[in-house]
Parts: sequence; C-alpha cells; structure tokens
Amino acid sequence: MAGATRPATVRERVADSDRSVGRLLLVAAGALFWGWLVVSWVNRWLGGVLVPVGDPLVPPGAVEATLAAIPGIAAYAADAAFVVELSPEIARGTWLTVVITAASLVVGFFIAVPLAVTRVYGRFSAWVSLAYTELLRGTPLLAQLFVLHYGLNLGSYVPDTLSGVFARNVVWVAIVGFTLNGAAYQAEYIRGAIESVEEGQITAGRAIGLSKLETIYYVVLPQGLRYAIPSWTNEFVYLIKYSSLAAFITVPELYYRADQIASETFRYTLIFIVTGVTYLALVLTASKLMERVESRVSIPGLGVDRER
Amino acid sequence: MSDDGFLRVADVSKWYGDEQVLHDVSFEMDRGDVTVLIGPSGSGKSTMLRCVNRLAEAQEGSILLDGEEVLSPDLDVNDLRREVGMVFQGFNLFAHLTAVGNVALGPRRVLGLSEAAARERAEAQLERVGLGDQFDSYPAELSGGQQQRVGIARALAMEPKLLLFDEPTSALDPELIGEVLEVMHGLVDEGMTMLVVTHEMSFAREVADEIVFLDDGRVVERGPPDQLFERPERERTGRFLERIASHD
Repeated sequence: MAGATRPATVRERVADSDRSVGRLLLVAAGALFWGWLVVSWVNRWLGGVLVPVGDPLVPPGAVEATLAAIPGIAAYAADAAFVVELSPEIARGTWLTVVITAASLVVGFFIAVPLAVTRVYGRFSAWVSLAYTELLRGTPLLAQLFVLHYGLNLGSYVPDTLSGVFARNVVWVAIVGFTLNGAAYQAEYIRGAIESVEEGQITAGRAIGLSKLETIYYVVLPQGLRYAIPSWTNEFVYLIKYSSLAAFITVPELYYRADQIASETFRYTLIFIVTGVTYLALVLTASKLMERVESRVSIPGLGVDRER
Repeated sequence: MSDDGFLRVADVSKWYGDEQVLHDVSFEMDRGDVTVLIGPSGSGKSTMLRCVNRLAEAQEGSILLDGEEVLSPDLDVNDLRREVGMVFQGFNLFAHLTAVGNVALGPRRVLGLSEAAARERAEAQLERVGLGDQFDSYPAELSGGQQQRVGIARALAMEPKLLLFDEPTSALDPELIGEVLEVMHGLVDEGMTMLVVTHEMSFAREVADEIVFLDDGRVVERGPPDQLFERPERERTGRFLERIASHD
C-alpha cells in the first residue's frame, strides 16, 4: 500500500457519499423501527396512554387515505392500511421475541463460558462438557422444547415469584430451552476462540504465580472472548430466528402472532413478509450492535493476525 | 563469594516420555550471583531453567532454593513462583493489557496490592527499565526490545529473590539486543540473583560468576568465565565456544 495520499477520484467520492446515504437510510429505518416498537410497548404497559391498547399508533384509515392520494402507490394503500392495522399484534409478539432472545443469550453465555473452559482445560469435566454440547447440538431444538414443555411440563414448576412476569409460564419454558441449547452453541464458539489464545500467555500467567483458574480468568478469557465476538454474533443472529420455534409450544411471540393473524385473515404472503422484515430488522440491529461492541473493546494488535 | 548455597541444584534428571533430557545436572549459586547456562540448542538449558520454577517438572534430584525443596510435591508452586521471576524468549506479554497492566497484574492479583498501589509499583518498575514514557502502550505498539523490557519489569514487580532469563535476547533484532542487555547489566549491578540462559557470550563473560556448559542434558563443564572461555578443560566446551565465536 502506498503511503502517499492522493486526491480521491470521482468514483471514490461517489462511493463514499453512497455509503453515507446508505448509512443514513439504515439509521433512519432503524430509528423508525425501534421507535415504533418502544412506543407500542410503553403504550401497552401504561394501559393505553397514547392510543387504546390494541389500536395501531396511527389510524389505518388515515394511512389508506393518504397513500391513495399518491399516484403510483395508490394500489398498495389498502395493503398498507392492513399492515398498520396488524402492527400492534406484531409489536406485542416482537416484545416476547426480544425478551426470550436476550434472556437466553445472556444466561446462556454464563453457562457457555464454564462449558468452554472445562472443555479446553478440564479432564473429567471436559467429557461432561463435551457430552452436554453434543447432546444439545445433536438433537432438534424443537424436540428439546417439546420435552421441556409437553414431556416435563416445566411450566408448572415455575416459582411463584417468576410466574407473574409473563402472561403465561410457557415463556419461561422457552427461555430455559433456548438458554440450554444456545449455551451449547455459544460454548463451541468460545471454545474455539480460547483455544487460539497463545500457550505463552498461559505460561506467563502461571510464571508470575497466578493459579490455573486465575490465569484463565485474567489472561485467557479477556483475549479469547474478544476473539469470539464475530462468531458469537452468529449465535445471536440464529437465536433471534430460532426463537420462532417457541410458537410450537404456544408462546405468543412474533411468529405465533403472525401465524394466528394469517390463519384468521388468509393474508399469508403479506403477513409473513412483514414478519420477515421484522426479524430482519432485529437481526440487523443485533449485528450492528455487536460490531459496535467489537470495536469498543478492541485492543491494538490483539487478533489482527487472525483476521485475514 | 559467600557460599551461602542460595540455590542448590543436585542431580536433577528429567524425561520427556522415554527420552531423558536432563542427566544428573548439578550446580550451585549464592545470593547475588549470576550464573549463565550455555550450550547448543536442545541441550536442556531452558528445561533446566524451567525446573527451577516448576514450569517443567524434574523427576529426580533436588533443587533447594533458600533451603526449601522446590521439587517437593507439597510445595505450593504459586508461592514459589511469586518469589522466582521469569523472563521469556518470546516476551509473552499479556496481549490484552497495557505495559502498566502487564506489570501490575501480578502485584494486584498475586500479591493482593490495591489497584493504586499495584499501578504505582508497575510505573516504578517501568521507569526502572527505561519505559517511563510507555505506560499505556499495548504490547503490539512496542518494539521487541521495549516488550522484553516490559517483560523484565513484570518479573521485577513481584520483587523476586531469583530471576530466571530464558534466552531473553534470542528473538530480538540485533539492533534491539543492546537495550535489553543494558537493563540486565543494571540488575547485575544492583546485586540481583540471576540464572540466565543465553547465547550472548560477551554478556556471559562480563557478568557471570559461573558458567555452566550443558550438552545433551549433561553438565559438561562449569566454572568462572575466564577459566571456561580461556582454558576449557573439555574438548566439547572448546568446540562449542569456537562455533559460537565464529558466528559473532
């Protein structure tokens, strides 16, 4: 790479402005999406302070009238109004999707780290960890959810203190299911990353008198977890989408709501396009968020030789 | 020399599987001594060094440090290692920590100093190795020579009674070796007890109280540098020194 700077070519300047326009659009879309979600949720929690609970934030009739007046998209005005009409249900379902994903991911992480550490550094525990990971990764997630819900009826064991948090206890069953399953996948990503921490790092830690566990905690994990971020983001993204399986144990999350509305109205195509776009927006948010985290915690020189 | 037998290595043997890498290695050093282990690569110098802080386990023999048996199975290796510092060939700096972070980790987590006290000690040690202007640099932002000096500061921060150097300059570009040797010279002048594996023969000659020549896991010959370099008793020692000299 030549060190000298040269004036940007026209093409580069166009590309640059394209990028910034693209970024602006993405940010605007993200703000609109999350603004709509958060306002919808808050409205529901506060018992309908803005609009009656269950009503869309803007009247569908007004949307239809406005769009109908614009030539070219007038044909879609009725569809748009329909989407606005079902938006409260979508927002409601998305809340559970977000909560289930976030809770499972975070709790799963704290299970995954010990799993990965024992897998790499343990003796007997390495086998236990391996068995757990293979069992959970090797059987269908849906089957696991069915065992927890229909087989073990886990929902009936939810303690009273937790039982009021969600409208139905089956949400807890889903969180447990995704936590246990996600932990296995997260453990695999984290294991790979901590295995790539150089042996010399551990030797140096032991040489100043840190115990094996202390060395893992103060030296290996801070490096390994940073290495793990890009692949760990995959699990985050997968989990957002896999959480739709909760619908099959009757958790009223996004997919469940969509399916319900679709079977009532028979507008499958439109509803699942809207649902798909909602999942896409969640996924994009997750990967942007993790990009931010990655650059926030990056350390000069750490992992640069691994990147390409 | 006071002959206080600060470190007594006696008949140490070690095997990797079926292969014996150390054969009855013995030598002694007093407090404040500098002993240099030399020998061809694969001769067991580094392994011998690592047996002293138990990064490698010797299967036979005895290593007495200040009267305590290092090889005793009852010994807490972490207690041993807080008293025996080590400097590595590949520096092995903690890649996620700044220079200060690297040096402060031991005092903070092993010695239990407060955050502030550990930092203060780290800064003092970095000043000592001439890195007063690099406190917050990460290892990747430092030259090899600077990294190795951080490595030395990290070992010093534990206030060790013995410092082990495992080929501290072997991974350095020739122009960076000088700054590391300079720091090591300073430590010698301060009376630090040092056991050094190195190929830097002029350094060995200048500062060593005793040179131990190892070949094939055996002590071939040991003695003061003048004797070893001028009038080696064994033919193998002479051949090795000649070969090294022709590279310099």
